[in-house]
Amino acid sequence: MRIIVDEARCEGYGFCAEAAPHLLELDDEGELTVLTEQVGQDERADAEAAVRVCPVAALKLAP
Amino acid sequence: MRDVVIVGGSIAAVTAADALRQQGHDGPITIVSDERHAPYVRPPLSKGMLKGTESVDSVFMAPLRADLDFRPKTRARGLDLGRRRVLLEGGEELPYDGLVVASGARARRLGPPEAGELVVRDLDDALRLRESLTTARSVVIVGGGFLGMEIASTARGLGLDVTVVDRDPPLVRQFGAFLAGHMTRAALAAGVRLVHAPDGVRLAGTPATAVLTGDGAPLEADVIVTAAGDLPNVEWLAGSGLGGPGGLLVDERCRVAPGVVAAGDVVTRVSDHTDLPRRSPHWGSAIDQARAAALALLKGDEAPEYRPSPYYWTEQWGLDIKICGRILPGCETHVVTGSMEEGSALLQWTRDGATVAAATVNHRMPVVKLRKLAAAPVPERTTG
Ligand SMILES: Cc1cc2nc3c(=O)[nH]c(=O)nc-3n(C[C@H](O)[C@H](O)[C@H](O)COP(=O)(O)OP(=O)(O)OC[C@H]3O[C@@H](n4cnc5c(N)ncnc54)[C@H](O)[C@@H]3O)c2cc1C
Ligand code: SF4
Repeated sequence: MRIIVDEARCEGYGFCAEAAPHLLELDDEGELTVLTEQVGQDERADAEAAVRVCPVAALKLAP
Repeated sequence: MRDVVIVGGSIAAVTAADALRQQGHDGPITIVSDERHAPYVRPPLSKGMLKGTESVDSVFMAPLRADLDFRPKTRARGLDLGRRRVLLEGGEELPYDGLVVASGARARRLGPPEAGELVVRDLDDALRLRESLTTARSVVIVGGGFLGMEIASTARGLGLDVTVVDRDPPLVRQFGAFLAGHMTRAALAAGVRLVHAPDGVRLAGTPATAVLTGDGAPLEADVIVTAAGDLPNVEWLAGSGLGGPGGLLVDERCRVAPGVVAAGDVVTRVSDHTDLPRRSPHWGSAIDQARAAALALLKGDEAPEYRPSPYYWTEQWGLDIKICGRILPGCETHVVTGSMEEGSALLQWTRDGATVAAATVNHRMPVVKLRKLAAAPVPERTTG
């Protein structure tokens, strides 16, 4: 599982980083960084929670 | 805490379930939603999805966790607080140790159901309006708030003849006179007709074919849309002693009663600014409250207090606007960078010398920064 950020869509709301702070980080400049490229099984639920809260569908999970 | 029941099927419900699991709750969680759809995202319903630039499929949220019992087409019709049971339509009773009320709000309507006015609150509403807009030539929108003006912008973009009618000047309550003035000028420049109806309006016809103002001629259109605010979904709580027309009052940890918490558009809480209960029906508030409510359910008084930090956005007339804080009546506006004439600006609002809100207009800035600016001093030399 990988988290993919569509940078053109991402508005820097940061709801996702709050949902999964160990996987995603929004820095002071508002750039979203994926901290963990390869998401393990045990982190999958959190990654999905992050995807769900994004209001502009900027995050996706890919196999 | 073992059995948790969540009433609602949208962002507050889903976030509460996620937060409960993240906080280690491993008992059963049942979510009952009266909608036929899986949870979806509402903001695009008046924007990209309505315009047709985003597909209907794109509004659905990623599938829910497998360890939840999600029940669509299931309506809660009552609450027995003493026996800790949610009563479902059809007679089934769901026992709970913890209950999350996330039943949100619905669109306010002006006419009876036969009036057939369109609203935009849920996915089916938006699909219906989208369909109507493809064949109609004219639309009258009742309500010049951010939802009404987003719909107006979309309809105008599709080439329709658009009229917006409101008893107040459009957008002032939400955006303050300065920013609302700019947005209104953009709407007029795009060719929208704005009608001021200080005495309010009535619908005429069954189904409605016109809107009547106190004085002027009937405003006729192929499609009538009402975007006149929302009403919290509290009726199912009648008889439990909880909830009133203004919403479900929560304490500083989103608690309502022993074992009961609430989050999202259904919630009203005492404002830090005015001491009056008010709702904050926005995406970010629903998420923040749902997390606070989940923690309060699990930890009680040990849970941190919920500190609101209002944040909302709108897209209309080519303006992409994001706001942190609250633009209160009597605020002073400051243009910090750019200018409205150039079409890109950063704004701050002060009241009694203290900064209370900040906004970007077509100006890309991370929300974290905007949040800080909503409380940071205004640089000197700016005017507004
Ligand atoms: C068209 C539109 C555009 C918006 N745009 C923006 C925006 O740009 N920015 C922003 O910040 N916010 C925006 N919002 C507001 C945002 O979408 C809401 O604040 C958010 O959806 C609130 O979530 P919620 O879960 O509290 O309630 P809701 O989304 O209202 O969901 C409540 C759910 O509970 C269900 N329910 C109700 N009663 C019962 C019952 N008795 N039994 C079972 N289920 C029940 C409902 O069917 C619904 O699924 C917009 C809203 C709309 C409608
Ligand atoms: S929630 Fe969506 S828009 Fe916001 S930072 Fe995350 S990916 Fe970007």
